[in-house]
Amino acid sequence: MARNTIIPSQVVIEQRKRVGIQLETVTNVSGTDFPGNYPDEDHAWDVIKFAENFKVEFHTLAPWDASFSLIGLDASVANAFRRILIAEIPSLAIEWCFVNNNTSIIQDEVLAARLGLVPFTGNRVGLLDFLKWYKKPAEGEEKVEGTDYNTVVLDLQIECTHNKDAARNERDPLKKYNNAHVYARDIKFIPFGRQAEHFSGENAIRPTNPDILLAKLRPGQVIDIQMHAIKGVGSDHAKFSPVATASYRLLPTIDILRPILGQDAVKFKKCFPAGVIGLETVTKKEAAQKGSGYEGHEGEKKAVVFDAMKDTVSRECLRHEEFNKKGEEKVKLGRVRDHFIFSVESVGQWNSDEMFLESIRHLRTKCESLKADLADLKMKGT
Amino acid sequence: MSRETYEAPNTGSGSRAPALGRGNAESALGGEGPATQYKCGDCNAQMKLKRGDPIRCLDCGHRVLYKERTKRMVQFEAR
Ligand SMILES: [Zn+2]
Repeated sequence: MARNTIIPSQVVIEQRKRVGIQLETVTNVSGTDFPGNYPDEDHAWDVIKFAENFKVEFHTLAPWDASFSLIGLDASVANAFRRILIAEIPSLAIEWCFVNNNTSIIQDEVLAARLGLVPFTGNRVGLLDFLKWYKKPAEGEEKVEGTDYNTVVLDLQIECTHNKDAARNERDPLKKYNNAHVYARDIKFIPFGRQAEHFSGENAIRPTNPDILLAKLRPGQVIDIQMHAIKGVGSDHAKFSPVATASYRLLPTIDILRPILGQDAVKFKKCFPAGVIGLETVTKKEAAQKGSGYEGHEGEKKAVVFDAMKDTVSRECLRHEEFNKKGEEKVKLGRVRDHFIFSVESVGQWNSDEMFLESIRHLRTKCESLKADLADLKMKGT
Repeated sequence: MSRETYEAPNTGSGSRAPALGRGNAESALGGEGPATQYKCGDCNAQMKLKRGDPIRCLDCGHRVLYKERTKRMVQFEAR
């Protein structure tokens, strides 16, 4: 590069990252930090630069629910992780139902579809390492017999009967009858082959949420279904998706441009979810400062931003004249374009944080295979 | 998915009264075809009916009867 490169100031960089949120529009939506956009500025992607700026912050970390921020990332990459989490990480779900008997009100095919959606949990090593893919036969081909390392057998056998101990005038079906409701916990795991080594006792394969209502029965009605569960991916069917939610949002920003005082401050606080805006008293020092807008307001309440991350960006504050009068706006809402607050909620087979790491691994393998293909292409071209 | 073609569960479990066979049914009632197991929609009584029989519960006279479900295993994909 012949010309000298200009390095923009930190303030300018921060300004460029802001998405503007107005009453009815969203402005400055697309990123501008790509090569050639700003004359004489270097925006070529660089690993070292990226590594210096990239940050990860954890907000909550429970086994099945994690929330963390990825800062300094491009939206395309953040979105790739989200999509991989939803559609490409494998998990176990019921795929075949063998209905021996079902005299309940719910039809076989509807019940089968419901059973497929029930999430299962169990020994993590067993689920992630021991269990392998079941290769589905092609259209028209005969189904291949499953083995202990690719098929899990489950059983649901339940019959509704009269409860002899119930009061004569009992009206609640749950007390009047036995097994009036069929729950996910009634599904029993049947280990075979080497499965008992990994899945026994408290490590057994079981529904993550035992209280899912599957069907309702009345005396004399029976359900007897054997089920085969296999590993699959969410792109095939949503039941195989390992996440309940995997989503991100951009960090909200709230800038108070002019002081908001007294009753206005209380009203302003009410425009936001709890914990976003707080009230503080104007100090003597602030009141003494010329041109601060606090002159003569010592001891009054003023609105202060406590935690913008908790904001839902409802834009309620922009609806009120006192905060959003044209020409003298007191508040500016925005979002940071490269600050992604992820929320990954596992459905029971993966730990949330491990699952995110797995999504990174997936993206890497994709990149590597693309790289290999490109190299192959080059060789063919010459 | 090879779903078997439906066949009326005419022979049943066999634990109940002997099914009206083709031979004696024809001679006794003049009907034809095998007897099929039904359940009354009102009193849940079991009965066997043949072609030409009135569709009516033999115990209570209710006119809604239900056919029994197949005893065979039926396979479904859980999707
Ligand atoms: Zn009847």
